[in-house]
Amino acid sequence: MWRALTRLPRDGRDTLFLLAVITWVALPLIQQVPLWCSLMGAAVILWRGSLAWRALPLPGTAWRLGLLALAVAATWMSYRTLLGRDAGVTLVVVLLTLKTLELRARRDAFVVFFLSFFLMLTQFFYSQSLLTATAMLLALWGLLTALVNAHMPVGKPPLWQAARMAGQMTLLGAPIMLVLFMLFPRLAPLWGLPGDAMTGRSGLSASMSVGNIASLALDDSVAMRLRFTGQQPEPTQMYFRGPVLTQFDGKRWTAMPWPDADLHPMPTQLVVQGEPLNYQITLEPNQQPWLLTLDATPQPPKVPGSTPRMTHDLQWVLTRPVTELLRYEATSYTRYLADVDAPRTQLRPNLRLPLGFNPRTQAWAQELQQSHPDPAARVQAVLQHLRTGDYLYTLEPGLYGRDSADEFWFDRKLGFCEHIAAAFVIVMRASGIPARVVTGYQGGERNTLDNFWTVRQSDAHAWAEVWLAGRGWVRVDPTAAVAPGRTGSLQRLQTPRGALTSALLGSVSPAFALNMRAAWDAVNNRWNQWVLNYTQQRQLDLLKNLGFESPGWEDLLYILWSIVVVASLASAAWSAWERQRQDPWLRLLVRARKAFAHAKLQLPPQSTPRQLIELWRQHPSLQARYPQLRTWLLQLEALRYSQPKPQQAASFKQQCHALGRQLKRMGR
Amino acid sequence: MRWLHPLRFLKNRFAKWLQNRMPLADRITLNQRNVYIIPTRAGLMLAVTLMVLLLASINYQLNLGYLLTFLLAGCALVAMHVAHATLRGLTMHLEAPDACYMGATAQFVIHLQNTRKSPRFGLSMSVQDTGHWVDTDVGAQASATVQLAFKPPRRGLQHLPTLTLQTLFPLGTFRVWAIWRPAAQVLVYPAPEQHAPPLPTHGSEEGHQASPAVHTLGEPDGLRPYRRGDGLKTIVWKKAAKTGELVSREHTNLQTRTLVLEPQLTQLSQTEAQLSRLCAWVLLAEKQGVRYGLRIGGHNLAPANGLTHQQRCLQALALA
Repeated sequence: MWRALTRLPRDGRDTLFLLAVITWVALPLIQQVPLWCSLMGAAVILWRGSLAWRALPLPGTAWRLGLLALAVAATWMSYRTLLGRDAGVTLVVVLLTLKTLELRARRDAFVVFFLSFFLMLTQFFYSQSLLTATAMLLALWGLLTALVNAHMPVGKPPLWQAARMAGQMTLLGAPIMLVLFMLFPRLAPLWGLPGDAMTGRSGLSASMSVGNIASLALDDSVAMRLRFTGQQPEPTQMYFRGPVLTQFDGKRWTAMPWPDADLHPMPTQLVVQGEPLNYQITLEPNQQPWLLTLDATPQPPKVPGSTPRMTHDLQWVLTRPVTELLRYEATSYTRYLADVDAPRTQLRPNLRLPLGFNPRTQAWAQELQQSHPDPAARVQAVLQHLRTGDYLYTLEPGLYGRDSADEFWFDRKLGFCEHIAAAFVIVMRASGIPARVVTGYQGGERNTLDNFWTVRQSDAHAWAEVWLAGRGWVRVDPTAAVAPGRTGSLQRLQTPRGALTSALLGSVSPAFALNMRAAWDAVNNRWNQWVLNYTQQRQLDLLKNLGFESPGWEDLLYILWSIVVVASLASAAWSAWERQRQDPWLRLLVRARKAFAHAKLQLPPQSTPRQLIELWRQHPSLQARYPQLRTWLLQLEALRYSQPKPQQAASFKQQCHALGRQLKRMGR
Repeated sequence: MRWLHPLRFLKNRFAKWLQNRMPLADRITLNQRNVYIIPTRAGLMLAVTLMVLLLASINYQLNLGYLLTFLLAGCALVAMHVAHATLRGLTMHLEAPDACYMGATAQFVIHLQNTRKSPRFGLSMSVQDTGHWVDTDVGAQASATVQLAFKPPRRGLQHLPTLTLQTLFPLGTFRVWAIWRPAAQVLVYPAPEQHAPPLPTHGSEEGHQASPAVHTLGEPDGLRPYRRGDGLKTIVWKKAAKTGELVSREHTNLQTRTLVLEPQLTQLSQTEAQLSRLCAWVLLAEKQGVRYGLRIGGHNLAPANGLTHQQRCLQALALA
């Protein structure tokens, strides 16, 4: 196979290489484009590959136009539009693969290159991870190699030669990239983001129907990373507050709409105690306005470029959804009192239950209210019931019907945190205690390499808050009662491994796998901190470190411009220097002319060695002074004008050098 | 009317200006002064692509997109330098072509010398405005040879046409080129007339004086060793095959015939046609071993024989 490949004619080999590069560029998009697009692309590339392999002629225009029409029609069927991000990506993939069918002239090759660059950029809509970056760097290398190879028209140069050239260019281009990346002003989006720009990412949402968080538990992707400066928290205190769900319609829990900030500037009474926890969070984009913070955060988190505000249920929200990696700093206190003196009207929404749902739970709540008149004792009784009632914490509790709380408490006794929390809040409300469901993340994983905590989607959690007179809102995690390990030591239910992961990791010890994952996470985190999170704020910070008082983007341009000017001056100086040392032979001639100038002889401008010999012959004084000059000039002439032997090419400079030394000796 | 085409006019003026500032030389070393660079259409397309990538990166706030765009821009910048360096420092020298007949192509050889420690790829040379490119690579510290040909447009001594050397290496985004006006000249003889009539029986007066009828065939020829300038016909090939030495017949008899060729003998009116026929006759006379002279313009070549004489006659015809 390899032999046949190396024996392939130049054209076939180059085409196969380019097809391989195109496949590499388009492959990560398989998850994004419809199935027909992947199949069609693969078929076309295989077809083109086999044509190149057997050196057969390319298909006619009818084929290409037909396939193009088919692809456009299929795109329309899939998306009902040809515009927008997803339809656009699909079309570019189709165009790129179809373009290979007429890949002959150099211009066609260029079209393939430019389309490939667009495809590379579209990958970043879906993922900007280190893995994607590495894959695309390889793709860039491959494309440049193919391009360099296309411009080596003679013979059949080995591909590694082009690859080396491309590699060198990339390495030399990297410093330019770095300078531009650091200093190019980060502008705001020029026009609105299309609606579909950021779909396909999971996370918490403003509503919860039973089963939401269970699906998140299977999602291993990172929700946020954080680092504590100073004191580290206890695992049991790691509750990151997200959407607070107050309204319940029997099926879905939803957040209360929050009124305008102007009307309720600081609606929650919050009293904090104890030592603060200072930390910095890097939040992955989640399309939601919530800023996740530890309970409770009295001061607004420091977000570059905007001021978050607090709602009446202790959440911090931004005015716009988080659509890009966001870094903010916050200070939290794990001991706090919230809304101790809340008026009854404010608590009323936390007591509402839809009519006609969960009758058995309501009845049970009435009993509890009579047997435990003290609300705090009632809460403890229900938790005790959870602990001792053979309830089970599981990811697969099965489908719940209409009266989900009834089913949970009395029939199935199986549930994930959201079932448990929801059922708990229903009992509380039915027994007259204001209660609400809080969603967010609980726990996280500390990377011992760089001390960053990673919070994953699988750490998504739901818990309850009850309002007790004199204590305000108190967090109650009923899941902890069912499965203490979930919150105490941050145990997670094992998500089922895929067949591939099992095959890859089957023989690896779990500890080693965990260490590998920790190292990978640390690298990924660096990537996030330094590359993806390089925002305008960081740029301006950089300028501050450079000594600018109040830096703005004009200063960035100023520095960028200065670098360009300095670089051009340096290159101009270099080229002047190179021109000076350009021709050692001409410099020798100039030196020889000096000898004549000493003898006060008029020289014709740009005289040749032959003319100098003639002059030398006519002037006895010169002959007496430099008897060797004639031979020397003849040698000089021979050096330039005799037939060069190829092997002499290297020694031309050396010969000039030797002649220069001779001239020096003559002058003495 | 040339102001109606200001662009073409400017272009021509620019080309003329470039040519005129270029000294004639048979050896040229390329440097910053005589190497030019301009982006190709593909290069402009790359610039547009970069702008679009940058816009997309700004609009979608993709830091990785910025990285890709800037890396690509960096590579393009490096490629510009690489392209320029592919020609810069290259030394070329030219071997003057042999004289040729009008209508034939004159071939000449160019040696490219690379003193650099890395190879130069994708060089192409052409005679300006012909569009025929000859590609070559020059290895590290090596030289390469390129053979070019052109059809001289007229008869006589003339300069070689302007040559162009260019490269698109490495990315095809920049065209780097140099033009070169060689100092070497090529002598172009008139085209020998095809199917020319036989040699005139009466030359001019001198031909008459030497009676053309002294053909004493059958008389044994005297032999002597080959001398330069002897015609192929006079060589005794049989003898040469046996002994391995070239031996010529003494033209005791043939030498008697002498012709002096003149334009009037051609009985043609047009100068070029006359020269063509004279050229054909010179070749024919040399082939037949006839002593021939040439009287044309200021030239007056006494009758003689041999390749040197033939060359002298052809030169006279070329410059007539």
